[in-house]
Amino acid sequence: MNRFTLVRLPTLQAASERVAKAPKTRRFRAGGIDLLDLLKEGLDAPDELVELRAIGGSAGEAMRGITTKDGAWSIGALVTLAQLAEFEDLGTAFAAVRDAAGSAATPGIRNAATLAGNLLQRPRCWYYRHVDLECLKKGGSQCFALTGDNRYHAILGGGPSFIVHPSTLAVALLAHDATVAITNAKGERTLPIAELFALPTVDPEREHTLASGDVITALTLPKAGAGQRSAYATAKEKASHDWPLGEAAVRCRIVDGKMLDVRVALGHVAPIPWRSQEAEGVLEGATPSAELFVKAAGAALAKAKPLDHNGYKIPLVAGLLRDALHRVTGLAE
Amino acid sequence: MSPKLLTLGFADQLTSVEVDVPAGEPPPWDGVSSLEVVGQPVPRIDGHLKVSGQAVYTFDVRLPGMLWAAVLRCPLPCARIKSISLGRAEKAPGVKAAMLLAQRGDRIVFAGQDIAAVAAERPELARDALAAIEVEYEALPFVVDTRSAAKPGAPMVHEAAVRTRKTEGDEPSAATAAGSEGNVRKMPDSRRGDASKALKKAAFVHEASYSTQVQTHSALETHGIVVRWDAKDKLTAWCSTQGIFSVRDELAEIFTLPVANIRVITDFIGGGFGAKFGASAPGTRLGFIAAELARKAGAPVKLMCTRHEEHVCTGNRPDSYQDVRIGGDAAGRLVAVHVRSIGTAGIGTGAGIGRNAFSVYTKIPHVLVEASDVFTNAGPGTAMRAPGHPQGAFAIELAIDELARTMKADSLRLRIAHDEHPVRKWQFQQGAERFGWTEARAKSAAARGKATRLRTGVGVAASIWGDFGRGGAAQVTVTIGRDATVEVKNGVQDIGTGIGTVIAQVAAEVLSRPVESITVRIGRSEHGPSVGSGGSTTTSSVTPAVRNAVEQAKTQLLALAGELFGVAPREVVWGPDGTASGGGKSLTFAALCKKLPGEAIVTTATRAKTFGHHPMSFMGQPMQQIAGVQFAEVEVDTWTGLVRATRVLAMHDCGRVMNELTCRSQINGGIILGTSYALLEERVLDRDFGRMLNANLDFYKIAGAKDVPEIEVVLTDVYVGNNSTGAVGIGEPSTIPTAAAIACAVYDALGVPVRSLPITPAKILAALGRVPGAGVPT
Repeated sequence: MNRFTLVRLPTLQAASERVAKAPKTRRFRAGGIDLLDLLKEGLDAPDELVELRAIGGSAGEAMRGITTKDGAWSIGALVTLAQLAEFEDLGTAFAAVRDAAGSAATPGIRNAATLAGNLLQRPRCWYYRHVDLECLKKGGSQCFALTGDNRYHAILGGGPSFIVHPSTLAVALLAHDATVAITNAKGERTLPIAELFALPTVDPEREHTLASGDVITALTLPKAGAGQRSAYATAKEKASHDWPLGEAAVRCRIVDGKMLDVRVALGHVAPIPWRSQEAEGVLEGATPSAELFVKAAGAALAKAKPLDHNGYKIPLVAGLLRDALHRVTGLAE
Repeated sequence: MSPKLLTLGFADQLTSVEVDVPAGEPPPWDGVSSLEVVGQPVPRIDGHLKVSGQAVYTFDVRLPGMLWAAVLRCPLPCARIKSISLGRAEKAPGVKAAMLLAQRGDRIVFAGQDIAAVAAERPELARDALAAIEVEYEALPFVVDTRSAAKPGAPMVHEAAVRTRKTEGDEPSAATAAGSEGNVRKMPDSRRGDASKALKKAAFVHEASYSTQVQTHSALETHGIVVRWDAKDKLTAWCSTQGIFSVRDELAEIFTLPVANIRVITDFIGGGFGAKFGASAPGTRLGFIAAELARKAGAPVKLMCTRHEEHVCTGNRPDSYQDVRIGGDAAGRLVAVHVRSIGTAGIGTGAGIGRNAFSVYTKIPHVLVEASDVFTNAGPGTAMRAPGHPQGAFAIELAIDELARTMKADSLRLRIAHDEHPVRKWQFQQGAERFGWTEARAKSAAARGKATRLRTGVGVAASIWGDFGRGGAAQVTVTIGRDATVEVKNGVQDIGTGIGTVIAQVAAEVLSRPVESITVRIGRSEHGPSVGSGGSTTTSSVTPAVRNAVEQAKTQLLALAGELFGVAPREVVWGPDGTASGGGKSLTFAALCKKLPGEAIVTTATRAKTFGHHPMSFMGQPMQQIAGVQFAEVEVDTWTGLVRATRVLAMHDCGRVMNELTCRSQINGGIILGTSYALLEERVLDRDFGRMLNANLDFYKIAGAKDVPEIEVVLTDVYVGNNSTGAVGIGEPSTIPTAAAIACAVYDALGVPVRSLPITPAKILAALGRVPGAGVPT
């Protein structure tokens, strides 16, 4: 691990400018969970860490708080996963967000890891994380997962890199059509969360679309519609502290026994959090039934292209989606 | 030898047996001995030190002027060194010594092998300096996959014959090689009857291949050593070891020092599991590196492995690929077993599959077990908690269950019918009742029939081990002072079983003194010869020596009391609080000690070779076969393939239990290790790079708190008069059957077997036929 300077600046503006000036050697630090992993593994060696938690004033406060306005929730970027998991006011309308936050990592990590840090963490691919292997994601010529041990890799949206996106919260937030608030030296802007992430066809070395100096300040959950509910399902080999093999999040409104405004998002299947409009198409306006859910799960995975060792993800994720659908509709299996 | 009538047996099956007790040994504690302290759940005497962080592990040792070492390791699985130089490393900031561990022209045979090392003022400076070492490699062909390596024409891993590395962790009765071809090195067969012929005639034959993965020891404290030269020919080593004297001997050999000039200290160790014998680890010369750097730098040097190093070069449990054929006859009897296995211990040896297939179900008349080591370009395997046995148990037990289904036989009854060990048969029967076996099997069969989403299943498997307790190995010294202090000394290390606590209990028992009044000194070579903690021999080698030494001291106290009371020593009564009385007089323990003519009584004793009466001996050897049985229950989600072990009932023969609390704790540990092996752990090597992909604790998955089943332990006291305390080992026996029982439970839940460990959701979904375009992964 290299030596670095920890820089604490009191304003968001100053922090943003500090990193924007030397984006190759300076990093923002929030919870520091993934960042320190990368440093310790020798995958990153910045000179400076700019401490986002040092930001004061109303900007800093907004980044640390959860507020509501006109029924929409604004969740500060520095809110920890533990805080989010315990925030009961979100209610059943946003259950997937709380459940996703509470399922990640360990209690210790959840107490330090932040919302934005979870969204922007780097992939856990074991080729990428191996310091000696110069893979596509590190500027090399090919993705080693394609021919190597790809049991944990992508079945959808893969190529030329086959990582799966590691963020658990992103899956739930995608199902809720969250928007991302971003600040940089030039000002503020918002982005639908789907546009925060980019496939490796854009740039295999990056998973998001932010520019240097961009700081995520908050995520906004739009006002819940009448009868809105959501559910999140995950499968991990290990019950204590593990990365998901697959995830599914569903949001919908149940009105007169029909599913409306359905959103289906899948996790750990693709290089980005994966929205399944195919499944949504099957479910929208339909009456919940076990057969319908099997059909929706089939539609969600119809285009899956497994690699040599990850074909199991197709039934696994189908099972998770069915599980989430049964729970969100309250329909017995 | 003098014949003594002892009450031996177990449970309600106790009988009087005449046993020849060797001269100098007290009559062994037997089935009617009523003991006050031994066997009680006495909390660890050093527990507060551990939980409060005061216990000093090797990792915590910091000496004045101490340097930190780091080792440069080969990044390639096979390579020739074209050029090598320390370059600027010697002059790098903070560096005080550097050395090459490989030379130009050397052929390196696994990724992780020692290349060079430095010692610097800070650990990060040492790591930085490694980057300045200049090495040019010529990459050579390699093979890391066991089955590919076994094929003719595979790249040869070794160019010359391989010397077997033996440690105290190896099963004491393990055999050596019987010949080799290519990368395959055959072990001697185990054979009775004619399995091939019997299988041809068998009415039912089940044939399948079973595989197990490479597991790494992953002790919480990595391998490490701190060396300080106290004089030119004298050193002290703090070492995270399970064999203090093996560390001493190795350092003595390397540096040609008299053993008396070497002190080894292991006050506490954070786990070993078989990989921590000697000053070196199996795949890296840690002791030599630290001591040589310390010599060069003229300062103490500390070398602790990183987690990455711990995975790649400090040992592992070899994998196995076992082709099993098992046959039964029309009368419902098992008639033959044939197992042919290959496995890799990387560049090392010892990929056997233990005794399970050959020695548990001894009523099977025809058995042939063939096993071979296959060399691969990977870090060497070494002994790991019951070498070979969990692998072997998994294949044979699951194969029995699969054949039982074909034969429409009850798999539990089949086991009982073919097992001759009276204790194990009893454990099977009692355990089944306690576990609710019959009801659980009926429940899982019903759920299979209805094809429900969530299934439960139950399975059972057997354990086999020998009472390898060693005679003459541990020399225990007891000092009873005029101030009534009792000190017991022995150079044994506590690998975590609580041996110090047990030593105190045995001394307290003999003297009728409180446990807390006994001072125990262990963990240092100067405390006197002892055993390494391997083969499940520590408690059975050390506690009888403790008892014998304390009995000798007590004999002297009785003589003194007799003299003071004017009666014969045998007429002195030793009261329940250690008060001696006779001739109408009495003296408390403290008062009696005050009358000692000298400063103290000092006695030293060991124990005799194993004696006694063994109703079921281990492999025809003069020792008891240790029996055990575990029942497991699993829950499987057939939608996702998620599987959890929910319940384990462990029935274990523990000889005489010395401490119920620490004994249960050892068994809990064995079950957790076995559960983790069954469902999670797997070393993943990339075939194209020959590198380990999960050399961390993130993707090398070890069971955490939520992955641990509900564990019930039934301790079966078994008395065979084997030594003066009746202790036998439990560390290894307790991990042997867990994975096998879990695999059988998964089979019961699904109705289809998963014949490959670890049993992951991927394999479960494949076994259920749900993975499109895929066979069952192995």
